[in-house]
This record gives sequence, structure tokens and C-alpha cells, in this order.
Amino acid sequence: MTSAHTGRVADIARHRLTPAARYTLGLAGAVVGLLAIMAALYPQFADSANVEVLAMNFILEAFMALGMTAVIVSGGIDLSVSAVLPFAAIVTGLLLRAGAPVPIAIGIALLASAGIGALNATMRQVLRVHPFIVTLATMLSLKGVNLVITGGAPVAGFPESFAFLGRGRLLGLPFALVLFAALAVAIGWLLAHHRYGQQVYLIGGNVRAARLSGVNVERVLVLVYVLCSSLAGLAGVVAASQYVSASTGFGQNSELRVITAVAIGGASLNGGTGSVGGSVLGVLFLAIVYNAFGMSGVSTYWQDVVSGVMVLGAVLLAQAAAREGRTRRAVGPGERPAAAQVR
Amino acid sequence: MNDQILGVQGVSKSFGRHTVLDEVTFGVRAGSIHALVGENGAGKSTLMNILGGALHPDSGTVTLDGRPAAFADPSAAIRAGIGTVHQEFGLFPNRSVAQNIFAGREPAGRAGFIRWRALGRQAQAILSEIGVDLAPSAPVATLSVAAQQMVEIAKALSLRPRVLILDEPTSALSDHEAQRLFRLLADLKSRGVAIIYISHRLSDVRQIADEISVLRDGRLVGRTTREASPDDLVSMMVGRHIESITPSRRTQLGAEIFKVEGLTRHGVFADVSFGVREGEILGLAGLVGSGRTEVARAIFGADRLDAGRIWLDGRALAIGSPRQAIASGIGYLTEDRKALGLFLAMTVRDNIVAASMPALVSQAGMLRPRAIRAESARYVQRLDIRPADDRVEARTLSGGNQQKVLLAKWLSVAPRVLIVDEPTRGVDVAAKDGIHRHLSELADAGMALVLISSDLPEVLGLSDRIGVFRQGRLVTILDGATATQEDIMRHASA
Amino acid sequence: MVLVVSGLLALAEPRFLNASNLVSVGTGMIYDLPVAAGMTLVLALGGIDLSVGAIIGLTSVVTAMYLRSGGSVVLAVPIALAAAGGAGALNGLLVARFRVAPFLVTLGTMSIARGTATVLTSGYYLSGLPPAYIEIGRGQLLGVPYPVFVVLGVVVVFDVLLRRWKPLHDAYYAGTNPPAALLSGIDVGRLVFAGYVASALAAGLSAVFMTSRLAMGYARFGELAELRAIAAAVLGGASFSGGTGSILGAALGVLLLAVISNGFVLLKLSVYWQGVVSGLILVVAIAVDASRRRRNESR
Repeated sequence: MTSAHTGRVADIARHRLTPAARYTLGLAGAVVGLLAIMAALYPQFADSANVEVLAMNFILEAFMALGMTAVIVSGGIDLSVSAVLPFAAIVTGLLLRAGAPVPIAIGIALLASAGIGALNATMRQVLRVHPFIVTLATMLSLKGVNLVITGGAPVAGFPESFAFLGRGRLLGLPFALVLFAALAVAIGWLLAHHRYGQQVYLIGGNVRAARLSGVNVERVLVLVYVLCSSLAGLAGVVAASQYVSASTGFGQNSELRVITAVAIGGASLNGGTGSVGGSVLGVLFLAIVYNAFGMSGVSTYWQDVVSGVMVLGAVLLAQAAAREGRTRRAVGPGERPAAAQVR
Repeated sequence: MNDQILGVQGVSKSFGRHTVLDEVTFGVRAGSIHALVGENGAGKSTLMNILGGALHPDSGTVTLDGRPAAFADPSAAIRAGIGTVHQEFGLFPNRSVAQNIFAGREPAGRAGFIRWRALGRQAQAILSEIGVDLAPSAPVATLSVAAQQMVEIAKALSLRPRVLILDEPTSALSDHEAQRLFRLLADLKSRGVAIIYISHRLSDVRQIADEISVLRDGRLVGRTTREASPDDLVSMMVGRHIESITPSRRTQLGAEIFKVEGLTRHGVFADVSFGVREGEILGLAGLVGSGRTEVARAIFGADRLDAGRIWLDGRALAIGSPRQAIASGIGYLTEDRKALGLFLAMTVRDNIVAASMPALVSQAGMLRPRAIRAESARYVQRLDIRPADDRVEARTLSGGNQQKVLLAKWLSVAPRVLIVDEPTRGVDVAAKDGIHRHLSELADAGMALVLISSDLPEVLGLSDRIGVFRQGRLVTILDGATATQEDIMRHASA
Repeated sequence: MVLVVSGLLALAEPRFLNASNLVSVGTGMIYDLPVAAGMTLVLALGGIDLSVGAIIGLTSVVTAMYLRSGGSVVLAVPIALAAAGGAGALNGLLVARFRVAPFLVTLGTMSIARGTATVLTSGYYLSGLPPAYIEIGRGQLLGVPYPVFVVLGVVVVFDVLLRRWKPLHDAYYAGTNPPAALLSGIDVGRLVFAGYVASALAAGLSAVFMTSRLAMGYARFGELAELRAIAAAVLGGASFSGGTGSILGAALGVLLLAVISNGFVLLKLSVYWQGVVSGLILVVAIAVDASRRRRNESR
């Protein structure tokens, strides 16, 4: 799931686990521990019904986290996802209401979302400002567009067949969950094992060196932002199907929850690290914490406070870990410290 | 010369008004090691960047197999079979050794999925070939600097280059590791690879090079073989005569006002002690990376000291920040003009008054524009800063004038002790003369100066005494009147 | 630019020049001016503060809760500023001391502040504030509300200090080249910390007036205020790369935004367009900044 790739048993024995892999394992342990605690405290927690609720509550963030992982690994960030989500929902809704066939409506919504991603990447390149500012501007404008095209009113009146995406079941599981699992495996596999996927890590790790190594940085980044936007769009389509309506209020503050989940999942906001597996665990971790709030009867208004605290905590933790790694390296065996630092 | 693979013919290169390479002709033959030596700033790295396609010459040609060749960018040079190992690391810290070696060229199936086993195998093959015991799966960030250097070399070799260019490859290596690298280079040579080896470590060069070319001030001043004696090489590198005449000054030196004792920063420098007298210039010589700048930064409070004491005027100082150092009467003119010295987007006036203050602000802390204007104008005139308009942005000035602006900033602060770090690097001759004159005037006026410089004529011409650094230690202090360039080089690079 | 937009608006809708309309444009700027001034300082220092809008909401709620529990009107303002300043100190600590990227820090504190305000009120309005408190915002002197004087005073003093007061003026050095500023004896960390505190205090001031004039505490006060402030500051000459900007410029930026949004009201365009326009204004601000930087680099 992370980066111990070469598969040579001897190497793995010599190095045991990379720091990233150790972190992911630790996170998995935390998730399991949290689940156990919750199950012990609240017997109804382990209900299959509650488990499903828990998973479905964060299904939209989960879709978005897949693309956000790629963006953050590349050293960027995308705040516009929380506007793309309702945008895609509304576009789908308007097309369906106008009588478009379901696949066409979904296709157009996803294409439009992909276009937003391409716009983000292009503006980032042309204006040469941090993607955070570019995507902030996109988020704002797009939220305005959402209001304008709906007049602020929810869009409803969808055909029965459309509801399957959000409410249907496959193999005894919610269809959206199955779709997510398939996408997570595919994107995770691409990011970890495909040339383009690995180039995302190279760009995030050292852009200049990536260019010198022949990586087409701009093209890869366009693909990354298009992927991120498209997945936010897909989340929007799923949301429209789940609620059988589309509203500008969808996805409020979801960008923050998604970034938090990815950061918790082990991706550094400086780029170059992170994995889809870690991000999925991060989403799960957030979902459980939020669910725990629900269970214990604490107001759901606490959610924003919790995500704020968690994003700061995750970043501080990652920074402390990076610092520790550096100092360990500086005094590591076989090192000549004088040469290491004098330059 | 007909089997020369890569070379340059009559190549010149300038940056702004500063000529870095002047009509240089140089080349390397298959199956040989050609060393390029010279002092810091002689133009070695620029020549390397031209050969590797990272820079384009202003005039002259690059030749490959005897035919003119123009590399559009570094990847064109790579495709032509030229591998380069830079001094700066071009590595991906969070990726494995194998991925770093093959970054962007990973073995992959038709669909583009990377074949990790093949990648590991190929990386292992290269590593074994060069005799490095590294696991291909280890993340580069966990490796020592020496091991990272070997990964860089493995990366360059994985391209199966016909020409291999190495820039100071042993600067991060222990003797043992360096010897292993030399054996590897000898092996590559026997297989017909042409190697350009850039260094200022004469012992390395004399051990492995077939030919040695010496660069000085951008000109190729000599070509010899490894049989040349170190003294011959040194005198070629530094020049037989000193070109610019530095002012000779002989004033009464006052009492020792500044003293440091046992300064240590673990792994960087250790047990550095010296004193400076009123009106004295203490030169600090040594190779780049020998710890001089680091000592200066620590004295100035910019980096932490692990041990050691500092006295000024008999008072022990506890300096925790540059702010406290300045308040105590210590100034430091940085070696890195653009990154650490200037506020490039601000005006010359803003730059000159950036650090000085008490005289230019009222008691309540309000800036006094008229006083500031006068202060700035005074230094613009005194140091002959051009253009004379101090409202232009610092970025628009030439290197020499930018350096004068930095000097003006510290003159305006008027510290008791001023440490100047490479005050004339990348500066044209006229400005250099001006800066030398001002430094000696400052000393004559009673300031204690510490001059860090890699320009040996400068150190010899200005200093009353010369301390020589080697690998983080102050190894000797020579008398400025009798010391020679050869003395300094011997102590610095032994 | 302000003049051009105002002129166009006056042509399109003569009522723009009505005295009462002009007064309403002016008083409408009360809330945005301090925030934009604070944002200018933070941007000059090379940072950004996304939390100011949320701090307005939190401060408003804290003030209203304090007053409704029988707190004294005299202490209400210091308490509001203390709450805001505390949030700013958290930002400053995380950015200056722990070196976390400013946008992340303030995105996090934005969420925490807004969330806390919502938790405290369960999303309801807190009305029923004492009349003496409401008087702070609504009371008038010579027909002009008190806050106008206060805000104008703050803007002018802030402008002069940033221009002329050495300890604050150093922000330009610290934002242009932090390591060089450090080596020039400027305490960059302390300045950055102070910048975030000042920005939060400005938001707190804005919250005091909003709470008082609208006679209630509400968690959602100040929504998108951070974005208007960023746009105004950048339009007024601040840059995302630090080292530039002036309070006066930012004030003109606020004026421009106020005129534009007044135009929306007068021309009876849907309020929904305002979101699009504020996003586009930010895009314009970014493009202005980018072209300024490009011009500088090509020289």
C-alpha cells in the first residue's frame, strides 16, 4: 500500500518498514482501537446498521479524498472541491429535470467537473500563484455560479432509475460503497504502481529534479487536478442520487474534512508523501470520531471544531515526525556530520 | 585530439557585466580522466553546466565527437550520453534508492505499470557494479550524505554515459569512500568512458587524473599532467602575481577588543579560538565548507553554539539572536548577497537603513524620513554606489553595487566588530578595489574586522593576521606580512 | 478605478449619488475596513489569515453571551477583543513558532472558531442585548454613527504606523526576505506573531460593531469577510508574496468592493451574483498581483 516496492525479501528484512509504512500501520491500529473502544462503550455501535451509517456518512468525503491524495502528493492543494460537489449535483439535477437520460446527465456533470480541474491547473501555471489561492478563487466563483443557476432553490424531481447510484445495493452492500471500493483500489494501484502515478511523487518530492528526469510536470499536474475535480463531481452525483435532490448546500466545508482526512492518512502538505490506503484510513478515522460524537449525544455542531483541531494536530504531528527523521539522519551511523552540514 | 569525445572551443560566458568564462578551449578523450581545477569562482561550475546543457555559451562551440553540438537542455545532453553528477543533490528524499536511480525511466510494462522487481534488480545490478552496499528499497532520506552521493553517481551511471562529469564528488565522502570512488572511476576509464573531474582537492586530482587543466578567473591558464608538483599546481591556480594592488596599511593596532574561545557547534566546527585587536583585520582563509561562515553565523547569533565564549571590550556576551549581536556591537555582512543579504524588491535606501536604527528613529520609534534620506545619500556618495538615485530597487543594481549597498548598511550601523564574508565575490575589479579601500579605512578608524575570503590575494593584501580553517577547525594563524598563498593552500588542503 | 466604477454606476443609476445612499455605502464599509487593514499587515509579512471571518462570528457570540448573562457593557468590548486576540495569538504561535503554513493554520482555526461559535449558540441568534451596548454601534455624533469615527481613526493610525513606525514598518523587511531581515536584527518571529494578533483584533473590532448595530450575536457573522479583505488588500497593492501593501490602498480596495456591491443592490441584480462576483474579483486581484510580479521580474 505504501512504498516498499521492490519486493526483495532481503531488503525488507534489512530495513523492516519505511517510516511511511510504519505510520500507516500505526493509523490502522488507531482505527481498530477506536472501533473496539466504541463497541465496548456503545453496544449498538457494532450493529451492522450503524456500521453502514458510519461508512455512508463519509462516502462523499471518501470519494473526494481519493483525488485530493494525488493533489497533495504533488505538493498542491484543492479547495474548490467543496464547490464542485454541489455544482455537479446541480448540473445533473437540472439535466435530469430537463428530461436528459441518466447516463448523459451524469456524463455531462462529470465532464464539467473535470473542466474545473483543468481550469485550476491552467490558472496555477499561468498565474504562478500557490494552488491554494487559485482554488480558493475557483471555489468562491463556483459557489456563486451554483446559486445563480438554481436561484438558491433545491433541484428535485429525478427519475426512479437515478436513485440507484446513491441508494441501490449490490452484493448486499450500498452501491456507492462498492463503487468507491473499486475506485480506491484502481486509483491506489495507479498512484503506487503506474509511471504517471510515481511521477506525481517525483513532482511533489523535488520539482526541479523531476523536470531534469524528463517528467512532463505540467501535463501530470493537469491530470492530477482533473482527477481531483472529477471525483468531487462524482461525489456530487452520488449526493444528488442519495438525497434525490440537488442543493447548493451540499458539501459545506467538505474541503476541510477531506484535507484533514488525507493529512491524517500520512500525506505531507509539502508534497511527496501519502498514499490512497492511508487516506482511506484517514477518512475512516474521521468517520468514527464523528460517529462517536453522534453516539455520545454531543452536538453535531462540534464537527467543525473537531476537524479544525484535527487538521492542526495532523500537521503538527507530521512536522514533528519530519524533524525527528532529520535529526536521526544527522547523527546516524556511517555519517560524517561535518561534511553533512557544511555546504 | 582526434579521439576527443566532448569539448568546448573558444567558449565565453558572462553574467551581467561579470565575465565568468573567457575563450576557454577544453576537451576530454575516451578512456581518460581529465581534471579541471581552480579556485572558487574560477568558472569550473559554469563550464560544467555548459558541457551538461544547463547553460548556453555566449560565444564559442560545444563539440561532441568532433562535431559542433548544441544541447537545448540537460535532457538533450543526457540523450547524447553525457552523465552529470552535480554538487547539489537532485534526489527525491521520500523515494527509494532504486526509484531515484531510475526516476522518470522506470522499467514498465506496456500499460505503463512499473515492474518493481525489474527495477529492484536493475538498481541492484548498478549498485553492485559500483561496489556500493545499499538496499535498493531504502528511502533516500534515511541515507547518510555519502550514501546519497553514491546514489547520484549510480543514477548518472545507469544512463550508460560515454562522458561522465563529476563536480566535487568527494566533498561529502570519507577517505575510504573516496578511494572506492576512485577505483570505480579507474574501472570506467578502462571501459572507454571519458571522465571530467572537477575539484579543488589537489591530492585527489593528482591521484587519478591523466590530464589536468587549470582555470583561473575564467581563463584556461595551464594544462599539465598528474606528475606536476602540488606547488606548481597551486601557483597556477592562484596566479604568479597579484593582479589588483590591495592597499597596504600599517597603523598602530590597539588593544584586543574582541575574543572568542572554544567555539563549537557539533558536527560543524570545533574549538575555534581567536582574538581581534582594535584596528586590525583578521583574515580567515580555507576551502569552501571548512566552517568559516558557520563560525561567523554562530558568533552573530544566527545559529546556535554548543560551546564557547565570546568577549567584546572585556565583557562576556550572551548572544541569542542577530538582534542582540547588533545591539552588542557586532555586525555580519553575509556571503550570500541575494538570499540572505539584500531586500531585492525594496529600494536601495530601504536596504541601507534596514539594520541601523537609533539615529534614524525618534524616541517613540517613528522613522525620520529626512534623517534617513541624508544617511542613505551620504553612503551612496561615500561608496560611489551607482546609480546615485537611492530610490531604485536593489535588484536593478550590478553585483558590485549591490555589495556596496550591503557594506553601507553595516557602516550605517557602525559596529565595534564587523565580520565580512566574501565581500568581493562576483564583483568587478573596480568595485572590488573600492571595497578593499573602504575595509582598510574602517580598520584604520579603529574597527576590528574579520575578513572571510576565498580570494587569496585579497586575504593576503588586507589582513594583519590570517587564520586558516580546515574541516571545521582553525588550524593555524599566520602573520599577514610574511604569509604566502602557498602557505595558506598547504594548511587549508593538506 | 474606484472613480471609474463610481462614475459608471452614477450614470447607470442616478440614485447612487443620493446623500442617503452614499452614507449607506460608507457605513457598510465599517465592518470590512478594519479586517482589510489587518489583512494588509499579514500579507505584507508574507502570510495570510483565513480565520478573520470566523473570528468575527466567535467574538460576536462570546460578546452576546457575556451581555445576556448580565455582564457589564463597559467590559463587553475588552472581553470581545480579548477573545479575538486569543484566537489571533493561536494563529501567530502556530505560524511563527511551529512554522506551519499560514493558510493551513488559519483554515484550521477558521473551522475551530466558526464551529465553537455554532456550538455555543446551537445555531440560534442571540438577541436581547442591553440598549447601552446597542448604542455603541447605533449612536450618532453630528449625524454620523460612532463606529465611523472609530474605524476611520483606526485606519488612519494604522496607516501611519505601518508607514512610519519602525517596529511595524519592519514588516516590509520581514515579508520581503525573512532570513535577511533576521540578519538585520529584526525579530521576524515576534513581528509575525504580532501581525496575526493585530489581524484578529481588527476582526474583533468589526464584530463589536456588527453585534451592536444588528443588536444580536450570531455565529455566522463575518462569513466570507476574509475573502473580501484579501481581495481589497491585494487590489490595494498587497501581494501574496509579501513585502508590499498599504492600509490606505486596502481602504480604497474596500471602497471599490462596497461601490460594486451597492451597484448590485441598486441595479436589483440577484444577490446570488454577488458570490460569483466576489470570486471573480479575487481572480482579478490574483491576476493583478501576477502581472505586477512579472513586470518586476522582467526588469
